[in-house]
Amino acid sequence: MSAIETVRPPLPKKPFNPTPVWLTAWLALLWLIVVDLELSFETLLYGVDDIFEYFSRYGSPNFADLSRYVELLIQTLATALWGSALAFVVAVVLAPFAARNLTPNATVYRIARETLNFMRAMPDLLLALIFVAALGLGPLPGALALGIHTAGFLGKFFSESLERVDAGIYEAVSATGASRLQVVMYAGWPSILREALGYTLYIFDRNVRMASVLGLVGAGGIGLALHDTLRMFNYDQSAALIIVILITILVIDYLSTWIRGKLN
Amino acid sequence: MNSSRLCWPTPNGLPAVAPAVVVSVCLLLLVISASAVELDLVRLITAIPRMFEFASHLLVLPDWEYLPTLGTNMLQTMEMTFLATSIALVISLPLGVLAAVNASPHPVVFHVTRNLLTLMRALPELVWALVFVSAVGLGPLPGVMALSFVTVGFMGKFFAESIEVIDARQVEGVAAHGAGWLQLRTFAFFPQVFPDFVGTVMYILDHNLRAAAILGLVGAGGIGYDLVMAMRMFDYGRLLPIALSIYVAVTLLDRMSDKFRRRLI
Amino acid sequence: MSQIIIKDVAKRYANGFNALKGVSAEIPAGSFTVILGPSGAGKSTLLRTINGLETPTSGSVQIGQQTVTHTNLREVRSQVGMVFQHFNLVDRLSVMANVLTGRLSHRSWLGSLFYLFQRGDMDIAHEALIRVGLTDKAWNRADRLSGGQQQRVGIARALAQQPRVILADEPVASLDPVTSEEIMGLLREICTRDGITVVVNLHQVELAKRFADRVIGLNDGFVVYDGPASGLDRATLSRIYNRNGDQIDEQLETMLAYA
Repeated sequence: MSAIETVRPPLPKKPFNPTPVWLTAWLALLWLIVVDLELSFETLLYGVDDIFEYFSRYGSPNFADLSRYVELLIQTLATALWGSALAFVVAVVLAPFAARNLTPNATVYRIARETLNFMRAMPDLLLALIFVAALGLGPLPGALALGIHTAGFLGKFFSESLERVDAGIYEAVSATGASRLQVVMYAGWPSILREALGYTLYIFDRNVRMASVLGLVGAGGIGLALHDTLRMFNYDQSAALIIVILITILVIDYLSTWIRGKLN
Repeated sequence: MNSSRLCWPTPNGLPAVAPAVVVSVCLLLLVISASAVELDLVRLITAIPRMFEFASHLLVLPDWEYLPTLGTNMLQTMEMTFLATSIALVISLPLGVLAAVNASPHPVVFHVTRNLLTLMRALPELVWALVFVSAVGLGPLPGVMALSFVTVGFMGKFFAESIEVIDARQVEGVAAHGAGWLQLRTFAFFPQVFPDFVGTVMYILDHNLRAAAILGLVGAGGIGYDLVMAMRMFDYGRLLPIALSIYVAVTLLDRMSDKFRRRLI
Repeated sequence: MSQIIIKDVAKRYANGFNALKGVSAEIPAGSFTVILGPSGAGKSTLLRTINGLETPTSGSVQIGQQTVTHTNLREVRSQVGMVFQHFNLVDRLSVMANVLTGRLSHRSWLGSLFYLFQRGDMDIAHEALIRVGLTDKAWNRADRLSGGQQQRVGIARALAQQPRVILADEPVASLDPVTSEEIMGLLREICTRDGITVVVNLHQVELAKRFADRVIGLNDGFVVYDGPASGLDRATLSRIYNRNGDQIDEQLETMLAYA
């Protein structure tokens, strides 16, 4: 009797937990990478004093050239603005073709999708290099590069939002005899307006960040000044430039977060 | 009144106020800033034939002897991406918990961590790469440092945000059984946010690969240096293979992460 | 004269489901027709083939003098208004803008790009809103209205098309009984006063008996009844709602007793 009572049905066999295996593989891979890249973290550790000494050189920012910085900053912001506007226009045109429920046919869908993918995959600095070669130095190639690269992102975001709109709404508008364009204009964009504006602000935010380094490849803005001062070891001026860039980006960041909060 | 006169669907037939204001402000800003970006249609149009000329230069046979070096440098780029993302992952997991309003131990800790993360992601990788290159010298080390630094800023924020939207009832359920502070965070929070975390890591891996591909621009390792040199020397036999390999790598990672995310969620 | 002629329409979905298995019917101009049938009988599919939202696998649909094909879809649809179970309004647009979408087939693509309409369209939309009694809500956002009001906007949108036919797919399935009554009354009134042909899918036998001139009973993709609403006796209803071939199930009997 008691024997029967104490015999518990055995638990099913514990499933194999693969986590330790993955963790070990991950660590091993990281170790291999560290060896292959010939990174020596010891020098980093021994050099901590040096690094602190190095960063102390940035201790006394020199704002003597502030008016020039502000000028460059305005150019940077203008580049980001034009880049974002270009991205917005391209994305608005391409997104309906890349949305499964609005595209006229499968071929057009594929082409639109691949175009957006391609634009996203090309790093904006690489595009900037190419446009600088074609257009010469200045902020214009920078704006073009930002525009084309981020159009890939915006187009993807927009088309995914358009795909999430209730199919019944598209159906109702097309059942009135509306054309495909009219369905997009009256059922598509109004339904995703807030989302789309949020994404655009986010992209503008990102473009301000990127525009501040485009100068490195000669595409205008404040980045070139930073590069030059660092190369000439003018740490005081570099520090001033970094502070100016940092404040601008933080202001834009907070501003766009605030507007996006208002939108929702 | 003429019945074919055009009007907007508003009470007075004029455009609605809010969209009209937003559109005009945007257009105004664009017009004002047009001179700052040196917008010049003539220049744009005259550049078109040059773009075609450039494109035609690209159609040369690749520099075969360079291809092994390309492979090594692309591998280095990918290694930097993976390493930097891993380092950032380890650092931003605890920071993400501290920066989530519902998991942070104290409001002061919450605000300090939040602002720290904002500061870390404010400047682009390239600026940090410039600084780190002049601090520790050329090579992949400053690249990895710059990438990890900025990535912590983004990843910590994303982690914190996904922790903040979890279901409070499940947390209460575990807390009701007397779980401790750390137990609560590992047993109640982590399982809920795990799919979100994986999505974030994949997204950031994607972003970091693109960033790593251009860090070489300032001497911080990876394929970027070769890219700039090929560009400056008009070495088209190298340029196309480099651009193509970046495109292929990014696209492959993108597809893989899409598949991975879909399987997980 | 027949407004709608449905000839041997069959529909097989990509997943292999046969929704319609050869349906023929003629619907006279200016009549009020109700389609009854259990869920999955093909009511919705039949209604949606009329304005080309579904393409029949075989057979044809003729509206007025036109056979519905891929090439004349927009033209056919511009003459056929449709009312939906879930209203399907564009939430963020105003009530007026939603009603105006009924005029889109008369607008050029360029005007539509800038959301422009003509004064005449506004007048027609205004008229439609008066008909459904919602003039005071014209500038409200569509998603701020109650279900009954949203369905009225849906009907106004169909009216703004100045259609010859209005199709209503379960127009009262998401509404309470009192509101359902009002909406059915409105559709009936539109049919009688404007001479618009109305075809409605319904679940409620009782509403069908009260409002319809004519009832088409569908079961398992076939027409099992086609005649006046007065002919809906218990034997007919059990034929329409029967799920198990000839066997009459008891639940059905109870349900029909209250119908």
